[in-house]
Amino acid sequence: MNILFKVDHYISKITRSIYSNVPNMTVNNQKIINGVKWVGEHISSPQNRLILGASALMSQPFIDLYNKNVDEETRKTSAARTVAKIIAGTTTGFLVRYYCIKAIDTFAKIPKKGVKPWETILTPDMVKTGLKNLGNYKQALGTILSLWVMLFTNFAIDAPFTKYLTNKFINKVHNYEQYKKWREQVNNE
Amino acid sequence: MNKSLLNIIAKKFGKDPGKMLIHTGVIGWGMSAAAQICAIVFNDKLKPEQKMFMIPQEFADAMVNIVSFYVITRGFSTLGATFVRTGRLIPKNISNYIKKIGFGKQIGKIDFNINKHVKMPKNIKAEYNDFKKGIEVSSTIIGSILSCNIITPIVRNLYASKRQEQNIAKLNIKKNTQKANIASYTNYIYPTMQTFQNNASLKI
Repeated sequence: MNILFKVDHYISKITRSIYSNVPNMTVNNQKIINGVKWVGEHISSPQNRLILGASALMSQPFIDLYNKNVDEETRKTSAARTVAKIIAGTTTGFLVRYYCIKAIDTFAKIPKKGVKPWETILTPDMVKTGLKNLGNYKQALGTILSLWVMLFTNFAIDAPFTKYLTNKFINKVHNYEQYKKWREQVNNE
Repeated sequence: MNKSLLNIIAKKFGKDPGKMLIHTGVIGWGMSAAAQICAIVFNDKLKPEQKMFMIPQEFADAMVNIVSFYVITRGFSTLGATFVRTGRLIPKNISNYIKKIGFGKQIGKIDFNINKHVKMPKNIKAEYNDFKKGIEVSSTIIGSILSCNIITPIVRNLYASKRQEQNIAKLNIKKNTQKANIASYTNYIYPTMQTFQNNASLKI
């Protein structure tokens, strides 16, 4: 824990020095203000996972392909596995997060007239004694629930799906290499 | 359903769910890496040298992700939230309103907290909160992309390449030692057999 405090101290030091070097800014463009507002309203954990997955596809395979410290075959295989892992991880990650949040929204309602008892099975008793932010509680419970679900899906879905896709992509890379060699031979003849 | 467990979660993390992200992140990334390492180990299509790169790559992926998430992603979201909290980055109409009620000189000071120190009409407060949430989410996304998709893959590849190099070197030493042992064994056995054949009374 001591290390965490030290890291926290350095992070706040760095953020403070960045902060002090940035001038005051005001946003006058209504389109930008609306855009920022839209992001805050529509991007939550599942969408965040999709954005991370899409941007990972645009960066990680290329970082693997340009890793000059390993031989060409390892580079290509590693890029193929990275693409497979991103596709498998993003698909399951998005679905797990989305349905966990949906389940918590359904089962953690504030007890009042018209709300059925089964709709409050995940609502804490503290909600009666003054839990100020039910949204934060739902977020925390959602994170814990999706973590448990992912412990299962990581082994049962992610890993085999990644293996399947990796082998598919490796085959494609090999077939393309063979095709390229054949084309070269034909051109030389 | 056990309500006492739900109450503990509400009490511990209800105020700040960000507190638990580090714990869940460590478990989540760790388990994901373990599953992926199993997938690499049991994949017959991958060559042993490639596995020597990919297993440390996956291990480093989890480790670096945890650290870079804690340092970079959290740093970015803290910075984004601070910019809006102190008024360093806010919409112009809100800035004008703050100046109008006499807090103009406070804008941008690190200990200034708009939500705490400025009383705003409902519509301006709603606009400010929406903008704050949007900036927080955007800065977290930018931080995550930078840490998970750029810094982590570069660092994990550097680590995995080094490990692969070391493991291949170890493997080569082992192979060479085995070869040398076999060679010395044959060298040793050959003259003995010859001697035995030549000198023993029973000729084979």
